[in-house]
This record gives sequence, C-alpha cells and structure tokens, in this order.
Amino acid sequence: MVAPAALRVVRCGGGALHGARAVFSVGARQAGRFLLCASGDFVKMYSVATEELVRLLRGHGDLVTGVQLAPHNHLQLYSSSLDGTIKLWDFTDGILIKTFTVGHQLLALYALPASEDSVFVIIPKRDTYQLVSVKLTKAAGQDMEAKELSVVLEGVDASPKCTAFGREGEYVASVKDVSLQVYFFKRKQLNRFSLRATNKKGGNNVFTCVACHPHEDCIATGHADGKIRLWRNFNHKKEYTFSTLHWHHDKVLDLAFSVEGTSLLSGGVESVLVQWHSGSDCKKDFLPRLGSAIEYVSISSDGTFYCTSHTDNRITIINSNLRFSKTIQGLIKARDIKTGLVVDPRTKALVLNGEPGHLQFYCLQSDKQLYSLDIVQQEYIHQAGLNQSDLARVAFSAQGKWLATVEEREETDLELQLKLWFFDEETQSFRLNTRISMPHEDHVTAMCFRDMDEMEDDSLMLVTTGRDCVFKVWVILEDTDPEGNWSCDFVGSYHGYQATNCCFSEDGSLLAVSFEETVTVWDSSTWDLKCTFCHPPGKIRTICFGRLTCSKYLIGATDHGFLCCWNLLSCALEWSAHLNVVVLQPDPLSEYIAAFSWLFKESSLFVFKPNEPRPICIQRKFCKERIQFAAFVPRDVPETIGSEKYLWLRRSQLFFLTDTQELMTVSTKSLEERLTLSSKQLAVEESLPVTPFSLLLGKHRQQQSQEDVDLGKIVRHHREQDSPAVKELLHTPAHVLPSASFLCPIFINSLLVSKENKSVEEAPAEVEMESEGAEDDSDEENTVTEMKQEDIMPTESLGETTHKLSKSEEKELRKIRKTDYSWISVF
Amino acid sequence: MAAAAACGGEAAARPPLAFSPHDRRLLAVSGSDGRLRVWDTVGSRLRHEYVPSAHLSAACTCLAWAPPGGRPPPDKDGPQRKKRKSEATGVDKQLDILAIGTAVGSILLYSTVKGELQSKLDGGHDSRINCVRWHQDNCCLYSCSEDKHIVEWNTQTCKVKCKWKGDNSSVSSLCISPDGKMLLSAGRTIKLWDLETKEVYRHFTGHATSVSSLMFTTVKPMNENKAFDGITGLYFLSGAIHDRLLSVWQIRSDRKEKNAVMSFTVTDEPTFIDLTVSELKEEPVKLAVVCRDGQLHLFEHILNGYCKKPLTSNCTIQIATPGNDGDSTPKPVPILAAAFCTDKQSLLLVYGNTLQPIIEKVSLNTNESHICLIRDVQKVLALKTDDAVTKVKTPVVNSDTKVLVPGIPGHSAAVKTPSSGKEKKKSKRKPGETEDSIEERLGALDIDVSKVKTPGGLPQTDSFAVLLVQGLESNDEDILNKVLSTRKETLIKNTVARMPIHAVIPLLHELTKRLQGNPYSASQMVRWLKFVFTLHASYLSTLPDLIPQLGMLYQLMESRVKTLQKLSRLHGRLFLLVTQVAASETVQDVTEVNQTAKLVYEDESSEEEGSDDEMIADKDSDENWDEDEEKEEQSDEQDMTVEKEINGDSDLEPENESEEE
Repeated sequence: MVAPAALRVVRCGGGALHGARAVFSVGARQAGRFLLCASGDFVKMYSVATEELVRLLRGHGDLVTGVQLAPHNHLQLYSSSLDGTIKLWDFTDGILIKTFTVGHQLLALYALPASEDSVFVIIPKRDTYQLVSVKLTKAAGQDMEAKELSVVLEGVDASPKCTAFGREGEYVASVKDVSLQVYFFKRKQLNRFSLRATNKKGGNNVFTCVACHPHEDCIATGHADGKIRLWRNFNHKKEYTFSTLHWHHDKVLDLAFSVEGTSLLSGGVESVLVQWHSGSDCKKDFLPRLGSAIEYVSISSDGTFYCTSHTDNRITIINSNLRFSKTIQGLIKARDIKTGLVVDPRTKALVLNGEPGHLQFYCLQSDKQLYSLDIVQQEYIHQAGLNQSDLARVAFSAQGKWLATVEEREETDLELQLKLWFFDEETQSFRLNTRISMPHEDHVTAMCFRDMDEMEDDSLMLVTTGRDCVFKVWVILEDTDPEGNWSCDFVGSYHGYQATNCCFSEDGSLLAVSFEETVTVWDSSTWDLKCTFCHPPGKIRTICFGRLTCSKYLIGATDHGFLCCWNLLSCALEWSAHLNVVVLQPDPLSEYIAAFSWLFKESSLFVFKPNEPRPICIQRKFCKERIQFAAFVPRDVPETIGSEKYLWLRRSQLFFLTDTQELMTVSTKSLEERLTLSSKQLAVEESLPVTPFSLLLGKHRQQQSQEDVDLGKIVRHHREQDSPAVKELLHTPAHVLPSASFLCPIFINSLLVSKENKSVEEAPAEVEMESEGAEDDSDEENTVTEMKQEDIMPTESLGETTHKLSKSEEKELRKIRKTDYSWISVF
Repeated sequence: MAAAAACGGEAAARPPLAFSPHDRRLLAVSGSDGRLRVWDTVGSRLRHEYVPSAHLSAACTCLAWAPPGGRPPPDKDGPQRKKRKSEATGVDKQLDILAIGTAVGSILLYSTVKGELQSKLDGGHDSRINCVRWHQDNCCLYSCSEDKHIVEWNTQTCKVKCKWKGDNSSVSSLCISPDGKMLLSAGRTIKLWDLETKEVYRHFTGHATSVSSLMFTTVKPMNENKAFDGITGLYFLSGAIHDRLLSVWQIRSDRKEKNAVMSFTVTDEPTFIDLTVSELKEEPVKLAVVCRDGQLHLFEHILNGYCKKPLTSNCTIQIATPGNDGDSTPKPVPILAAAFCTDKQSLLLVYGNTLQPIIEKVSLNTNESHICLIRDVQKVLALKTDDAVTKVKTPVVNSDTKVLVPGIPGHSAAVKTPSSGKEKKKSKRKPGETEDSIEERLGALDIDVSKVKTPGGLPQTDSFAVLLVQGLESNDEDILNKVLSTRKETLIKNTVARMPIHAVIPLLHELTKRLQGNPYSASQMVRWLKFVFTLHASYLSTLPDLIPQLGMLYQLMESRVKTLQKLSRLHGRLFLLVTQVAASETVQDVTEVNQTAKLVYEDESSEEEGSDDEMIADKDSDENWDEDEEKEEQSDEQDMTVEKEINGDSDLEPENESEEE
C-alpha cells in the first residue's frame, strides 16, 4: 500500500501579473525575445512572439517586487522580493545563479550600468522608506549575505514608480507627496523642490510617478490631477524650470521615456497610452481602448516594443508605432467577485466576474482566459467614484443552454436587471431572450436553475431569491420566440423574512429556500410549502441538497457555526456539527460535499458524505486566507487516485478562490511529480541551417567590424580633417575662386593622409582630449575641432611646398596618393 | 509519377491539419497559402501564425505534434530550490514541438511556445515527405517520402539515425505500434517493420491505390488468454486514396492471413480519421471519418474477427447554413476534421474554410442516423471579434427580446395565464372581425358625424366621447391618439362622463396598454384613469371579473408608485372623497346622454362583448384556485400594510375585499 500522499494546495490562474514593471530581454530576432515580469512569487518569462509562457522562475518566498536585467550581462536577471532576497538568474535556462540575502523587505529594485557591483533597493525604515544601495559581492557560492548597505535617500515613497535614475546614473530623482528630491551622486548634492498641495485652479499637485530622460537632464513627473511636468535645470536650487503637459483627466499612473528620449509615454486610469513627442503639448499620439487602467509602462532596450501592465492582470505588448502586438492575460482580478465560481457546462470553463460588466470564461486546462462576455453592454467610464453596473449573480442551466445573469447598479436607489440568455448554436453565441428589470425590489441574493438533464426543455425553471422577502419562480412561456420567453410563475414568501439562498434537489421535485433562520422546502410542481427546518440561533448561510444516494438529505450551515443535516423523509435533524462553515460546495458528480471553515484566521477543508456524520477528509489549516467561493469542476477523464481518502477527487477537481482573489486547487500529486512533469520537455537542439543571406550578412558584418577596428580612427580623423579645406572650396562664391588648375592640387592634397604628421600630432591631441573628457560634451567637441584646424594648417602648407620638392619625393608622394585612393574608394 | 500528381492534387484539396495529442487542445492547420496556423480548440481562437521562410516553394505536406513532455533535458538541472507549498500549474505538459514535412524533403521542427523554428532536418529525403510520426517514448521521428525511403531521425542531434528503403514505390503513410516496437508503413501494400532490426515482419495487401492513413485501433488483443507479445492480435485501420472503403486488419501469429478482416464504407474518399482506441474487450471502437465531400461518418463497432459485409455508418453528420435570410438556399459547410474529446463522448468538429475554421465541441447521440447541424458560418465568424487587446465577445442582443418591467404581466406572479390568455384571445378576435367590419358598417350606416364635425370648428366634448367609443371599438390608433392626448381636465372629465358604460372596460385596457409605454404618455393616461375611476366607480364595482380584468393595472400602479406609498395613498383617498362629493352634485345635470341611437346600432357588438365576458368568466372558474391564491396573497398584503390605496385604484381595493366577503 502506498502511503497516502498529502493533499497540497496548488495555485493556479496566473497570479497577479502586475507586481512590478516588466522588462524585455534583449534578442537579435523578434522571436528570440522574451518579456520578464513578476507574477506573485514567481518571475515569468513570456515569449514576445507567441505570448506563451516559456519559463517560470521560482524560488522567492514572497511577492516579487522588482525585476531588472543585469546591466553587464543581459542574459542574467536580478529580482527582488518582499522576502528580503535579491536573486540573480540565468533566465534563458531558468537557473538560479545566486541569492543575496539583504534582510529587509525589498520594495523596489534598480540596477544601473554605471554601478558595477551594486544595485539600489527601497527598504522600509520604521514608518518611512529609504533608498539604499546594496553591494553585491562577486565571491563564488550560491547564497550570499549582502549586508553592505549605504543610504542614498531618506523618506522616499515605497512605490517603485516614485524613484528614477537619471542620465547614466548621475542622479536619482524621487517624489513623495508634493516634493521632488534630486540627488547628484558625483557632487553629493541634494536638491529639493516642492509644489503647493493644490494650485489655483484646484488641481491636485501630488506626485504620482517620475521618469528621467536617458540623455538629457530632464525629469518628467506625473501628478494626481493628470498633469505631467517636465523639469529642467534642476541642478540649480533656484533657477529650475518646468513645463506642463496636460491630457490625462485623472492620475498619471506611469511615465516612461523612449530610448532616445525623444518621446514620453504616459498612462493612467483612462486606459489610453499617450505618446508625447519632443516634450511639447501639441504633438501627441494616442492608443486608446486598452481595456483597463495602465499600471506600468516599460520599453524594450532597443525601443521596438512598449509594454503596459494593467490593473486587470494583463500585459499588453505594443509595437513602437503604437499598434497592438500581443496580450498576456491572467485571471482578471475584479474589484469584487459577487458571482462566485460557476462552471460553464459547455466549455467546462470557470465563469466569474471579469472586467466591470463582463463575465470572464477561464479555461482551467490551459490556464488561460477563453473570452470575456460583455453582459452589461454599456460603455465603461474610466473614472473614480462612478457607480457602474456590474454583474451580481450568474447561473447556467444544466446543459449550458441558458445563462441567467443579474446585474446591479447602486446609485441612490438600486437598479437591477435579470437577463436570460439563450445559447444559439447556429451562431455559436449567447442571444438575449428576456430582460427583466427589477426582478426583485432589493438585491438578488441567490439564483439557481432547476437542473434536470433529460427534460430540460419543458420543465426548465429559474428561482431567484431577494432581500425583498420573496422568491420568484420564472418559467418559459411559449410565445412568439421559438424558444419561448420567460415570465414569472410563482412568488413565494415566508413570514416576511429575507430570502437568502435557494437550491433544487437533484430530481428537481423539491426546492429549498432559506429565509434568514429558517429553511423552507417547497414542492416544485404545486408550490406548496412542504416543511420547514431551522437550527436556532443563527441565520442560514448556505444550503444544499445531497446527491445520488444521499438525495434525502438537506445540508445547511448557519452563521453561528453549525453544520446541520436534515433528513427529508423523517423531517428531522439527522446530525449536526459545530463548525464555522463559510462555503459549502457539493460535487455535482458524486455525493461528496466540501465544506470550508474559517477559524482562527486559518481555513480548513472538510469533505463528507451527508449520510455519515464523520468527514472523509479533513485538511486543517491548509490556507491562511479566507475562502470566498469554491467550485467542483468535472474532470474529462476520471483520475486514478490510489488513496481511499482522496477518492472524492476522482471525478471532479476542487477549485476555490480566496479573499485576495487567488485561484487555488488541491492536488494529490506530490511536488516532485509535478515538478518533473514541468521540467520534462522535449529537448530539441537548435540547429538551423545558415541561409545564404545570413551568410552574406555575417561576412559583411565581420568585415566591417574588422575594418572599424583597423581603420576606424584614421578614417574618422581623415574625414574631419578634410572638411575645412573642402568647405573653403565649396563655400567660396564661384566668381572669387581662383582657376581650377590652381585649386586642384590643393584639393587633392587636402585629401592626402600625411602619416608622419599624424603619428606625431595625434598622440598629444588624444591625451588632451582625455584630460578634457571629464568636462562637458560641447566643450570637448569644440576643442577637438580646434585641434583639427591646427592640424590642417601644416598639411596645407606641406601641400604647397610639395611642388618644389625633388622628383624622387614627388614620386613617393604619388605612390602614396595612389594607394590612398585605392582604399578610400572602398568607402 | 501519376501517383505523385494525384497526391499533389489531393494536398491542394485538403490541407494538412493535426490535433494536439491527448487533450486536443490545439489544432495546427497549414493553409493553402503555406502559413501554419495554430488554433485553440476551446473558443476557436487563433493562437499564432507562422510563415516558413520557404512556404511557397516548399509547401507543408504533413504535420505531427510531438508528444508533450518526452525525456527530461540532458543536464542543466537547476540547483536545489526550496520546495514551496504552493506552486504554479500551467507549465506542465506543455505542448511545444510541431514537425512539419515539406514538399522538398526537409522536415521543420517548429516550437509553438517560442514561436520560432527550432531546427531543420535535412539530408534524409530528396522528395516530398508524405507522413511524419513521432515515437511516443523516445522522441524519435519517423518520416516517409516519395523517394521510397523511411528515415528515423534523432531529434536531439537532428541527424539521420537510420534510413531504409520502405517500398518499391513511394511510401505514403506511417504508424507506430502502441508498444513502440513496430512500425507500419504503407505505399500500395502495408508493411509491418520491426524497429530494432528494420526487417519486415508482416505484409498486408488489398488496397489498389496508395494508402493515405494508418491507425491502430486497439492496444491489447481481444482474447486475453494468450500471452501478448506487444503486437499479435492487434487491429489496425487503413484508408486509401480514391477508395470508399476503410479496411481493418488484424496482425496474426500465423503468416497466412493477409486480407482485411472487415471494412467500413463511407460516401467519399476519407480525408481525416480519428478514433477512440478501445482498451477493453467490450468497449466499442468509435470511429469518426471525414470524407472529401464534407460529411462526417461515425462508426461504433466492437472488433471481433471477421465481418464479410462492409459496415455502414451509425451516424452521418452534415453542416449547412440556415439559408433563411439573404441567400435562399441552404449551403453545405464542409467539415474539415473531427476528433474525439478525452471523455470519448463529445466530438470536436472543425468546419468552414481552412483559413478561418470554426471549431465546435458537440456532444451527439448517435441514435439518429443522420444529423444536419445548422450553423450560420458568417455570423459565427463575425462574432469572433479578434480584438487583439481583450478577448471580449459580445453576445447578440436583438430588438425582439422580451422586456419585462414591473407591472407587465409576467413580471410578478399575481397576474398569470388567465389575463395573458385573454389578451391573446382579444388580439385574435380584433383583427379578424372588428377592425374592418365596424368601420365598414359605420361607413355604410353613414353615422360618422364626428368625422364631419371635427375638421370644422372646435371639437366638442360630446363628439369626443363618440370619437373615443369609435376609436375603442375599431381599435383605431389615430382616433385614440387624438382623443387621449387631450390635456384639458374639463374636457377629459366630460368625455369620461358621457361615454357609454360598456366602453369603460375597453378604455381601461387601452389606458393600461398606454401606461406601459413611455413615461410621458403615462402621465397623460393617469389623468384619464383618475376620471374613469371617480366617475365609473359604481359600475366597476358591479363587475364580477374585476380582478382579472384590472389586475394588471393594479400591479402597474403598485410598482409605479413605490416611493412615498402611504402619502400617495392618502392623497388618492382624499382626492377620491372630495371629487366624489363634488361630482355627486354636478354629475346629474351632465349625464343625459343623447346618443341612444348609436347605441342601438352597436347592439350586436355589445352582445359580443357580453358573451366574451361570459367566456372569460368560465375560464376564470376553471382556474379558480389560482385566483384564490392570489386573493389570499392580496389579503395578506393588506394585512401587512394598513392602508393600501393609490390615487387611481383606490376604489379597487375595497371592492376586492367586498367581493371576497
């Protein structure tokens, strides 16, 4: 007998994709490029070309907060996490190279090419946060301690968006509330700029994000009122300037400069990506209708791709010409899941709230969103503080032929709509059949179809319960429509109590409706009240009927912590247990019922059959979060499960959703089994024949690089050198020019390379250049050109003197001329 | 050479397509334009598209998915990591490599995850590849070609492992035995090879044309008493070009039997075959054969030895367009492929054109011998909004959907089938008789006094009453609109006062109908209602079937005056009192109705009305229990709310009660 493997909780549904800014890996081809993003405790690597998950980097013990390519090796990746470690990965092979333990929670990570061996992180310091640089030792070994911290800035914002590093890491800009602080590393100078909290026009000046120009001294900041400010000249404390760009009507959520710095990308809750050209207010491009608020914007290092992370757990990859390329969609995290987990019988997909007003169909087998169904069909206005219609309840009929949805909008008074959709096979889509406005006068608390497989057509029935103290039964009436239309058949109530739950027995003959403390059982053909059950004190939280052999039992859970089982034949309490059940979920294919309890901040799972009060499986404290909803999803093929204890998992799989909207499931397979499965992949070596074109290109490139190495410097100098002479020739008006015969030798000689001169003169020039190199760029250029002009004078005079030189020298010169020409012509 | 040409022609007709193994989650289709498209079978969305660099010169001829998860990668085992309690699913059993055979003899291995070509197997064949097959265990790839050879590839090193001559003519199809030790190959004749020694183990002959498909149908021999050597006793299936018969062969221990065991007959040349492998003796083999004519045939058969007669299909499936709007005749939609789902019950159908196929999962009962599915291909494609950003599908919302708002019968159960049934009856009666005949009669009798009068001077109140009655009887929208849009209170009052008593109920129905319309007209109708109730309360209270008649109106009122219920009820009651007191004095001098003559003419119709009422009464008595219930409910409600009166129907309530008592 094999020892029963422990039941394990397995996370699925994609995790939150928008923990940190995503980064693009660098690749020569588009296909070879990957997108790396933080997703819960993992770093995920997606292929940019196919939007498929290529690799999963696991190892962090808590939320990953930062992902950065290693600045000196772009096949490596740094990731930081709340568990206080920085990990270095080789992401192409999925190997963890090193782990640096910092010992503090890390909230953001920045890696700069300028700083060789250290990275910057944000760590908490009592109530505030500080930006520190961490020295990463290069010593061998996997697990390192990185304790060498040096504080760069105090009192920064925790968000990674509120700190940015400027031109080649010369300064760091950080925003918090209404102040911007810029710290220059070289000068060790800290400049602070602050705005008033509100301006004259009532705008909100609070900073939300910051970005630095890659080449210029320019900082862009986003504000809560939708303005973007471009700061310049901020190395002076007083004479700083800023210009304002304004398009967003609400908070700017992220900013990013393009690689060349010529354009700025901004995104906000409007779900529009705005591209500002050359920092002016008038020239901008938009990419609207991105679906939901843009949380992060990032740009690939060569500027060919943009990527936006959205609040609904989605990453959009956008071409640099602002066209959609791909989307990577996880399980959409709705603000509030009211529908619960429902299984669509047709596609076996999990159905729950998605984007506002939409139903998402999530395919569990492929762990991908199938599609989202726009139920409300109203334009969603991206603005805070608006009450918009959202879905509250969803139910499918047994075969998936009918879909019932309840949408509600709560303004001053409640707006409710019950919609009944018919699945039209002809067009393979749902079609609205009946729309009922205000089916109840208050919130609809529960809704269920009468599940009868074989006679679905004539006896289909929908029951809704409402807080207006009634439950309503809806049936199809034959009407003009071939499928018939729905109308109310019966309204039931019980002593003016609020109806909270409803449930049909397996054969559809009985309907159980719970009214606060009481469960009422109704005959579904005559609508007579058959019997009532209650277990005072405590209101009924959930009810369900037993299935198959246990169909004579009715299970109910009260909010005073009792789980009761009533026998419908004897109308008596069969057994009860003291258990604070939050969710009760019967398996549609077997008699097992799963109950999730919530006690001492831990969730426990109990699986039982209604006919025996002893649970079959107890899994205590298996999850630290409260379970909100659960669903049994039928398996395609019954799984072979060795252990008797887990037989209930044979026919269907149990999924549940926690408070934080993590979708989880339980699995009996051991970790090793799963791991080996995941690492098992067909290893096919990459062996692509070289195409003639790539051969040609490769040869050309090689040649060029060699030439560059050999001759690069000389060529460049030569070109710079000839420019004044040629310029003089070309810019002088034709009528003052001397005769061509006079000009010709000068011109030709100006093209000559005088090696003797160069070798002497170049060396000091370079030395000088280097010494001056520390100064400004412009200065440097000036001096260089000056140098060249000085350089030219001797050559020109030399050219004139050559006429009077001896024949032998002339010959030599000609020879030089000839040779020079031959290789110049190459270029 | 002729065979080759035929093959080429055939390839143009049907593109190579392949379902991913096991769960059929993906479908790879190589279109006639040389592009390789991978579709999700759930939701039939395009996963991605790949254009091989030589897609025009070296067209794709066959496809094969690599088995998910073969051998673990040679080394590169990451350092030991801490095992966490929770981990992600999703990456396990990822489908990745797709082998693409081309017309010039090279095989491409394409990674669908990375979206790029992984490697190119060259140097094995110098002619068109006819079939590629992955070995299920050791990631070897087998290919056969026009050049008469079979090649075994090592996909790790991308080298030819072994190459041997498979046939005297081209080898057109391959299949690996369930235990992985044998290989079936077929040109004209079918050969069974031992994979270790590369020697022929068996010959099977019988097909006249080159075999296009080979498949094992069983994994275990049917009689368990003999020792199983991995191959003896197994059945396999073969289909050939231009052949309407699919043959089933059995591998026997004696070498003598070389003919097919049995055969299945289909309507046209088979283009795609899928089957569920039977693992138990009594489990039938299910076979789905897609023919060139676009039909799908389903067979279900328990394989046990010989069967002389070719078997016909249990079920034939066709797909057609509805053909009701636009194009008048239904057109057939070709089925491109079909595959059984893992539960062996439902079927994945691929139909439409190859560039954008529609993939649908259907669960079928094979009791019917012929099923025609009606699918609107155009609409399905139109609905598949390939919006790249979000996968939003918009369900169809037609204008003809039924809308239930509070107050409409059927919204809440109080008014049930009797009223709606009655409405139906009325609507049936009205167009049939009244509309034309009354008008005609009126025209014939020449009593259209009102029509003469109205264009002239000011409309007078007595003519309004006449108009109203006419309008109600003829159901004339124009007249009714004209009358009911009056705003003058006195005019309304006088009209209501002068109208004949039998027109009250029709007027109320008309008003109810209009109340359900837009709110602006509703406010107009309320005025009319007010006067009807104040002036004709006594008549209404005498009606026996008041509740079914006016129940709908009552509901409507109930739902419309939800806010400030008590106040509005008080207002209603007070108003009623005051007006009735005032009216009791004034009514007398107005009531002399001078239209007795017209009433005489309409005697018949009033009789009709009467008879109708009787009918209704009968019906009510039939469904008496219903109403009782309602009444109970209503009385319940009355118990709860002390006073329940609305301005309009305030006089309904006491009557209800009086009736019950």
